[in-house]
Amino acid sequence: MAEKNDTILLDRAADELPPVQGVNRRDFLKLAGFTFGGALLAGCQPAKVEKAIPFLIQPEELTPGVATWYATTCAGCSAGCGVLAKNRDGRPIKLEGNPDHPISKGGLCAIGQATLLGLYDSQRLMSPLANGKAATWDEVDRRVAEQLDRIKKNGGAVRFLTGTVTSPTTEALIRRFLGMFKDGKHIQYDALSASAILDAHEKTHGVRVLPQYRFDRADVLVSFDADFLGTWISPVEFTAGYCEKRSLQGQPPSFSYHAQIESRVSLTGSNADERICRSPVEINIMITQLAKAIAAKAGITTAGTPTDSTVSRLAEKLWSARRRSLVLSGINGLAIQIAVNFINHLLDNYGTTIEIERPSHQKQGNDRELKALLDELKSGSVAAIFIHGCNPVYDLPDGQNLADWLKKTPMVVSLTDRLDETAEVSTMVCAEPHALETWSDAEPVTGVLTIMQPLIQPFGSTRPFTESLAAWMGEKLSAHELLQKEWERTHFKRQTEKRSFKDFWGDAVKQGFATVQSKPLSSRPFNLDAAWNALRESTGIASTELALVLYPTMTMHDGRHAHNPWLHELPDPVTKIVWDNYASLSRKTAEALQLEEGDVVRIEAEGKSLDVPVHIQPGQDDKTVAVALGYGRKGTDRFTNIGPQWLEAKPTVAAGSCVGTNAAPMLAWNNSMLTYDISNVRLTRTGQTHPFASTQDHHSLHVPPHLAPVDGKRRPIIQETTFAAYAADPSSGSFEKAEVVSLWGDPHKYHGYHWGIVIDLTACTGCSACVVSCQAENNIPIVGKDEVSRSRELTWIRVDRYYDESDGTFSVAHQPMMCHHCDNAPCETVCPVLATVHSEEGLNQQVYNRCVGTRYCSNNCPYKVRRFNWFQYEHGDERQRLVLNPDITVRDRGVMEKCTFCVQRIQEAKIAAKRDGVPLKDGDIQPACAQSCPAKAIVFGDMNDPNSELVKRIKDPRHYRVLEELGIRPSVGYLTLVRNREGEGA
Amino acid sequence: MASRVLTIVLAVALTLSLFVLLGSYTQSYMLPGNHQGYEPVQPIAYSHRLHAGELGIACLHCHSAAEKGKYAGIPSANVCMNCHKFITAPWLEVKAEEDRATKEGRKPQLVVSPEIQKLYDAFAVTAEMKPISTREPKPIEWVKVHNLPDFVYFNHSAHVNAGVECQTCHGEVQTMERVRQVNDLSMGWCVNCHRQVNQEGVKGKKVYASTDCVTCHY
Repeated sequence: MAEKNDTILLDRAADELPPVQGVNRRDFLKLAGFTFGGALLAGCQPAKVEKAIPFLIQPEELTPGVATWYATTCAGCSAGCGVLAKNRDGRPIKLEGNPDHPISKGGLCAIGQATLLGLYDSQRLMSPLANGKAATWDEVDRRVAEQLDRIKKNGGAVRFLTGTVTSPTTEALIRRFLGMFKDGKHIQYDALSASAILDAHEKTHGVRVLPQYRFDRADVLVSFDADFLGTWISPVEFTAGYCEKRSLQGQPPSFSYHAQIESRVSLTGSNADERICRSPVEINIMITQLAKAIAAKAGITTAGTPTDSTVSRLAEKLWSARRRSLVLSGINGLAIQIAVNFINHLLDNYGTTIEIERPSHQKQGNDRELKALLDELKSGSVAAIFIHGCNPVYDLPDGQNLADWLKKTPMVVSLTDRLDETAEVSTMVCAEPHALETWSDAEPVTGVLTIMQPLIQPFGSTRPFTESLAAWMGEKLSAHELLQKEWERTHFKRQTEKRSFKDFWGDAVKQGFATVQSKPLSSRPFNLDAAWNALRESTGIASTELALVLYPTMTMHDGRHAHNPWLHELPDPVTKIVWDNYASLSRKTAEALQLEEGDVVRIEAEGKSLDVPVHIQPGQDDKTVAVALGYGRKGTDRFTNIGPQWLEAKPTVAAGSCVGTNAAPMLAWNNSMLTYDISNVRLTRTGQTHPFASTQDHHSLHVPPHLAPVDGKRRPIIQETTFAAYAADPSSGSFEKAEVVSLWGDPHKYHGYHWGIVIDLTACTGCSACVVSCQAENNIPIVGKDEVSRSRELTWIRVDRYYDESDGTFSVAHQPMMCHHCDNAPCETVCPVLATVHSEEGLNQQVYNRCVGTRYCSNNCPYKVRRFNWFQYEHGDERQRLVLNPDITVRDRGVMEKCTFCVQRIQEAKIAAKRDGVPLKDGDIQPACAQSCPAKAIVFGDMNDPNSELVKRIKDPRHYRVLEELGIRPSVGYLTLVRNREGEGA
Repeated sequence: MASRVLTIVLAVALTLSLFVLLGSYTQSYMLPGNHQGYEPVQPIAYSHRLHAGELGIACLHCHSAAEKGKYAGIPSANVCMNCHKFITAPWLEVKAEEDRATKEGRKPQLVVSPEIQKLYDAFAVTAEMKPISTREPKPIEWVKVHNLPDFVYFNHSAHVNAGVECQTCHGEVQTMERVRQVNDLSMGWCVNCHRQVNQEGVKGKKVYASTDCVTCHY
């Protein structure tokens, strides 16, 4: 109706205007002259006054404009990866992996990279709250002390509920704090629980620990639904170890074998040599069968050969690789984990690929204790509860009930950095600083102590967890003092290398970690009885009903990163969908249920229901529906208007709702264990639809016949081969070299450097750490869901994912794609204003101040890696803009941009080398993508340096270039994707 | 009729703007954004002529960051205080007061120049270096003279370490009472020098200065 009225008004307005007679040439020239004159006049303004404010007293180690690097530890999850933080003028602007760190070995995942943005989140709590109102620390302390005194006098249960605490200092403080009460208890839980693994080891080995998995020693790897490259326990550490066994180095080359049995397509599954697709129940049965088959091989049972041929094949492979194999399961079921321990025990893997003497602390949650606590809270027998590092109201199945129980509890103290779901029902909220603002430590695996240090003066009036605890024990000590005291008391003794504590501490802070000794943990001999009992228990019955699988994504983890827009806009490594979670279904199931992509369905199980849109996922099990956890966090409606707001802009989040839907209420308890697989669910269509935004809409390398190139059905984009074929002929799988016809004359000559990149597709897992690393380094803005759906995302590097279902099996290939800096660059020849030109070092330069935005270059780019600034993008609010890298131009509306090979790093390194009078060494320059890669798949270097790692890779028979047949001579190359599977190769 | 009035108005406006334009041509030819000759008043009347010229203090003594990083940097106030803790006024004024004191048979008073007093004010101290508790220390807000656009990344250390004199770009600062932008700092001016040194070298030393776009723009 309104529209119609507007039209009428416009019509009337047009009637009232005098008729336009058209502008003649003279008038046009007059107007043009006037405009030109005016513009020139406007240009002749006096200089804008800009202030330069130096320090009053400049710290000695600081030079304005020169970055300082500090070693610290990532707090994105409990894996404890080492980080080097780049500090410019008193603020951290980039996190990179610490190459010397014994756990992460130089890699840093997407979450780790993105935690930097969390520091500048203006919605973090800046002061403590008491009963929902802003309070002072004195007031909070007084009220906590009053309550604690009352409990000390009258008795009462004091509970401490935390996520996994890897910090020995924090743990010691909690222990001391709870020691003040008659009934004090510390309960740890993980929203992504691994409790069953610990419980299983208690049953089989007599110690409740999480062992260290040594992927770098495993030649045969069988994983039952453990997404160890993406989300399971310590992905960066595991990726590094996994890739070490698949490097194809050595003579003759060796290569591990990895089978993944799963029901959805995980990142790990997409990299497996053999991906076996089964429903959750079938996986359980398979583990039991495998255990029996291995037991038969070990000669301790006479059970016949298993009915499942896959199982006997896997058993054969595992048995032939005893002491060098590894069986894993990500399923949180006690019987299953005991069966897995049993298999590993029979394969003699304990002591080689599984270290139990030096256990990991990366997951310590105990589901049974959590369940007991929930019962206590329900009965109202808890006098005071302190909650830190977890969000139980959001991520537990009984979250809503828990909120009610917490409201009944006399004192609930939340120690958190934002007003989350749990903090909302707490009596007291103690605002914690961000991990980059405070001192802390961690011992992620026994013997490796890592340090967290502050990199910025904290925003607001927050207080670190350790300081709060000390204050309530009557000690006025800073987090720094508490940490140092604990290290001097406990850890200094654990080493003999350093004589004085000052040296020990100083070196630890400088390096970011310290390695110390620890007494090997003694465990009981393997308890076979427990294993037999478990095997008897865990025989499931195959079901024809749909099962619901709840899984974490590599971006949201357990939901703690839901306020981070970098992670929301990072495409899922498999589905490539951004800003959403969804119910993944196989095509067959979707067709049977008459569902299409984007149809909202209601998933019902055990009296609970969940409305989510459907995504049709190739490679998914037909009896499984998978929904991601970690979405639907309260407060994510803040992203409603993220991205450019223009006439046709659609909101990223529907008004009043959240990003995605919280699937945690669908979780179930099974024998006091959090269960992520729910059987017998029902799907009904709600009639609503929900559009997705995806960064990729072509999923197969097999081109439909009407679009196929003349001579083939497959585009020469990803070269694949099998390990057997590779061992026989290292160049196997190579595409036929196309005849290159060039319109250009002589190739360019490069007298100095000639930069290039080679990406090893065998190593690349598709984890997308490079994408966020590039985003942080190069000031790439968030564009929001709507703009992504219009293909206007601005990331300079993307990871293309291709499915291949041609030979009956489902396989996935990941391919990072960025500007190829072609020698004969097609973009350069079409730019009418010479805004994109070639440098004498082979770089394809994009000059922002020259670009007028014709977008010809982008149309002529065969790799589609150029990005156009359709708008003047906001880089968040004033505080969030502090994350911007001052060494990179913030691009304006109307200009083209693309990967520069991190030219700012090239320039910096070249200038530094010149200044010091030394030649530039291979490896001195690492672009952001290569630096953070946990798999070390990306190698950057000088193609003119015959000794460089890059040239070694270019000479590798696996080396090829994508779309080489176009004659554009790209500077980026790839190494053939090798898989250890049967067959001849592609 | 309306069209004729418009023509007259436009014609007058155009003539006027041409006058202004021509006027500026005769004085100096300057493109928009060129601030050659810019000489802003500074919060403290610091004299480069006195310090760098008369006293012969090297540029890098105070602008030490020019060797290390992108920015030459304006020295932090503690650098000034290295000397001005003791030097409170020009020598002649101090000498005059001493003479007067000897004549009058009293102890000489501390002479503080009003400009140097501003430095003490920034530190919230008296000329005798006693802290003034009622005031907060506050950094000095200098006015930037040489401004490059945001899309240009100039690196001082690359030039200083190659042996380029500060005066090549900044002019004879040691003769300036108040610093003035001598060169136009335009791209053409930069590129000309880059081309020239590739032919002639810097102080007889062979150098290579790239003229790639990404040398400065990224």
